[in-house]
Amino acid sequence: MGRLRRSRVHNARRDVHRAARTRVRTRDLDQIQLLDLDPKRRAELEAQPLDFEKPGLAQHYCVECAKYYETDAALTSHWRSKVHKRRCKQLKEPAYTIEESERAAGLGRAERKPPTVAAVMEDVVLAAT
Amino acid sequence: MRIEKCYFCSTSVYPGHGSAFVRNDAKVFRFCTSKCHKNFKMKRNPRKVRWTKAFRKAAGKEMTIDSTIDFEKRRNIPVRYDRELVQTTLKAMKRVSEIKKRRELAFWKNRMALARDKHRAHRKKKLEAAKSSAVKLLQPTTATPEASKTREKIKVASKSRSALVQGEGRAMGMEID
Repeated sequence: MGRLRRSRVHNARRDVHRAARTRVRTRDLDQIQLLDLDPKRRAELEAQPLDFEKPGLAQHYCVECAKYYETDAALTSHWRSKVHKRRCKQLKEPAYTIEESERAAGLGRAERKPPTVAAVMEDVVLAAT
Repeated sequence: MRIEKCYFCSTSVYPGHGSAFVRNDAKVFRFCTSKCHKNFKMKRNPRKVRWTKAFRKAAGKEMTIDSTIDFEKRRNIPVRYDRELVQTTLKAMKRVSEIKKRRELAFWKNRMALARDKHRAHRKKKLEAAKSSAVKLLQPTTATPEASKTREKIKVASKSRSALVQGEGRAMGMEID
């Protein structure tokens, strides 16, 4: 009773290893969702100073897809594309985080209780002796 | 020393095992095996990969709300060693795992019972659909005996003369000297 493989899943993506290098690593969904989509940060990202290293001098940035575009026309046509819409859909549901992986494993987090007076007194006494 | 949890499949990662990836925002992702690391590099969502713990929890295949799960915690405050405390903790651990095992079994049985009902209903529905759309067989009509005895004459049009002029006006026969 396994999942039956869908058809048309083959992608002619070549050189997967090079694409998975750490230096070409793109922003993760949780980073985008928790940091970049914040209105203040979003405005910052959309109005970046001129950067000669980035495509299009970092003037046309899609926040959801974390990608620079060369021209404004390219960016607007990207917003209409399927790739962008799919990404927006993915960002709607909460991103997977390290905390969730720990929760799935049954590892909770102990809340830090404020030190009680008795405990503090005990520590003081121990330090004095 | 600490037993960490794998980012992808949520199994325990013991000291000296697995690997870690530190993202440029200083978040540490631990992996139990290269399999999990590779899946992470492919940017897969563990919630959608069926063999991970995250999937099983999210899809309701395992207990999520239970008091026996809440004991394991990341505690950042060290506890002073106490012989009595260790003994009672060990005893409690055994007891808790016993209860947990029993509850998990009950949960599984309940889940299987529901699945069985669902499966049965599905099969019944399918059978009824098949029945309603099945080809209905009719009684074979008996051929009348007279019709079969007297053979009907069938007129076949004789072959029309070919429009082709054979041999283009020349004799077709072999010329023998």
